[in-house]
Amino acid sequence: MTKPTTIRLPEDLLDDIEQFIQELKLDRAAYLREIFRKGFYVDRQDRFLQQYMRGELSQMEVCKALKLDPWQFVSQLKTRGLYLNIELEDLLDSSELPGEI
Amino acid sequence: MKIVHEVLVPLTKIVMDSSALILLAKCGLMGIVCELFEVISPSSVMAEVASKEMIIKYPDAALINELTSKKKIKIQDHKSAGFHLPLSLHKGEKDAILLAMEIKNSIFATDDGKAIKAARFLKIPFIISPKIVIELYKLQKITFKVARESIGKLNTIGRYSPDIIASALVSLMEGENDKTYNHKVT
Repeated sequence: MTKPTTIRLPEDLLDDIEQFIQELKLDRAAYLREIFRKGFYVDRQDRFLQQYMRGELSQMEVCKALKLDPWQFVSQLKTRGLYLNIELEDLLDSSELPGEI
Repeated sequence: MKIVHEVLVPLTKIVMDSSALILLAKCGLMGIVCELFEVISPSSVMAEVASKEMIIKYPDAALINELTSKKKIKIQDHKSAGFHLPLSLHKGEKDAILLAMEIKNSIFATDDGKAIKAARFLKIPFIISPKIVIELYKLQKITFKVARESIGKLNTIGRYSPDIIASALVSLMEGENDKTYNHKVT
């Protein structure tokens, strides 16, 4: 089910979209829905991962928000050229493991 | 427990969240860590990493499940109902921190920056996976070659920042050089 909504777009962007739709003979409404959907999911993922990078979200909080399982999380970072939100200080401050007595 | 000079010595307890379980399993060290230490995780963490669905999808999830079945990874839940952490975390991460807080002399293993923040605030000793590799090498439980390979795996599959990987490799090299030097002196 779809619902109508109205947005104002910059003229140059709208011109590019119209031209592209004509060139590829696409259905205008279906195409706009598709790029809206794609753009939303990519943007949502970016924003949650940026929050993770800033330490505002944990790995599992991001996984829950993006409906990822934790085994997929690191590959998502890799795809975007991001790293774990751990700092060098965290390595240096890590505990030592006691050896045998 | 292990027997040292016929005296029972308790093993060091490491409470792991999902990030540590996953990365240690991926770099192939989960087995040896479970042999040397008492590894404990809350049931919520096990549900996050080794559910029926994940065991089918990921071989390392199956390994974690197998270690749990063999009681090499102990499942234990905290009793601190109603305790509020200073920052929000997902259930598994929160349960692991509360469990580490509850188990005396335990170390909290995590590879999540926000969980580390909470551990620092609550003064819970923590450890990240590259440090576990360094420690295993220092304790002479793995060879230099294995340690270096493990850090290499953590670099490619773990997405640690280059400065962490470089620092971990320097620590390993220093340990190796000390060993060589001591060997020459003695």
